[in-house]
Amino acid sequence: MFLALLGWGTLVGVDLVSLPQMMIARPVVAGTVAGAILGDLDAGLKIGVVFELLQYDIIPVGAVRLPEYGPATVAAVATAHAAAGALGLGLGTVVGLVIGLVGGITQHLLRRVNSRVVNAASVALESGDPRALIRLHVGGLLRDVMRAALVTAVGLALAWFVPPHLTGVLTPRGATLLAVAAVASALAAGAAGTLRLVGRGPNLAWFAVGLAGGVVVVVWLQ
Amino acid sequence: MNPARPRFAHALLRLFAVQGSYNYERMLGLGVGVAEEPLLRGLPADGAASPYRAAVARGAHFFNAHPYLAGLAVGAAARAEHDGAPAELIERLRAALCGPLGSIGDRLIWAGWLPLLSGLTLAAISLGAGWTAVVVFLVIYNIGHVALRWWALREGWKHGVRVASALHHPLLQRGAAIAGPAMACAVGAALPLTAQYLAAPFGIWPRAILAVAAVVGFAAIRWLPGRVTGLRLGLACAAIALVVGWTWL
Repeated sequence: MFLALLGWGTLVGVDLVSLPQMMIARPVVAGTVAGAILGDLDAGLKIGVVFELLQYDIIPVGAVRLPEYGPATVAAVATAHAAAGALGLGLGTVVGLVIGLVGGITQHLLRRVNSRVVNAASVALESGDPRALIRLHVGGLLRDVMRAALVTAVGLALAWFVPPHLTGVLTPRGATLLAVAAVASALAAGAAGTLRLVGRGPNLAWFAVGLAGGVVVVVWLQ
Repeated sequence: MNPARPRFAHALLRLFAVQGSYNYERMLGLGVGVAEEPLLRGLPADGAASPYRAAVARGAHFFNAHPYLAGLAVGAAARAEHDGAPAELIERLRAALCGPLGSIGDRLIWAGWLPLLSGLTLAAISLGAGWTAVVVFLVIYNIGHVALRWWALREGWKHGVRVASALHHPLLQRGAAIAGPAMACAVGAALPLTAQYLAAPFGIWPRAILAVAAVVGFAAIRWLPGRVTGLRLGLACAAIALVVGWTWL
């Protein structure tokens, strides 16, 4: 199970930037598959939805340092599965947020390392040697594989370590409050990120139409 | 001097890893050079100062754009090398493409196609579609993704140094114009549905706290941009909840 999650988290981490950007790094995908691996699809979907909303707060433009929620979601689902219930959702989100932060820092460090390697090989690159070019590029890819595996491994270690230490500490009401905090921050980030994407132009009216439609469906379903 | 059979499939496969060695020095430059290399193989390659080696070196210079549209620059630069365009012109072409390809790609994909499908997926999951919604998301998204990469590479090769005309293609212009409103509508609908889905296990009081916390958090992110992010808000809310849950509840 650990190896399957480690492999999945690594693929997810590499997909975000390096290869092939097919969006398995999206939390809703990463979480659902992690849930399927653990035999806990419900936890995978719920955590996936929470981190997908948090992802709306992020626009991957330029070389900005951003949290990385793919491997973080895998770790969050593993935590939620280990803790179960209301505590699972809250605790999973906390672990996921911490790993998201760590993942973002490692992305930045990887780019700095790549910069140094490229700088050191500038003579070979300027000579137009295709083998040197491909070697440098594959080296960058392999470093990202190792980075993603390391981030996922740290996340899974937290998923293994944290739940047993907090299960008895929080009362059921405390666990619910933690889950409420996780969902509230995800909804806030999702709404704020969406409005940033939508802007103040004509798309705002379309957003309002969608929002009204969603509210009508929610009321109708109740 | 065009190669009889340009290696589009090799270039396309390499384009999927165009950001594999992303760095602050040349950004996507190395990946673009690696993707362009199969298309340059018809150039004379004898000696250290051959046209092939000079083109490979140019291909790996600084480049930054949306990764899905980088193929447009790869195809155009490779075609220009085969057409014998001056080195300065090819360098200028690459530099001129960075901004438009980044801007169009961001609007079309990161602010359109991706959040549109993500919003529909969240709505579908909230309405009970489960994992099938995720599979449908992956399939539909990647049909568009792969088609865009392939189109970009072929258009770049077709137009060469006159690739700017490809940027006016209806696919890019109308695609971005349609994807924006559709995205806004889809994610707008998804927000209340996901709120209902995630809050389903909670009672009345937790839902009330959830509503207040979400509104305050939203206001904080909106009014303190840069200082309050989703990540910071999440960690702060969790810390408060842990302290309160530990000490009072």
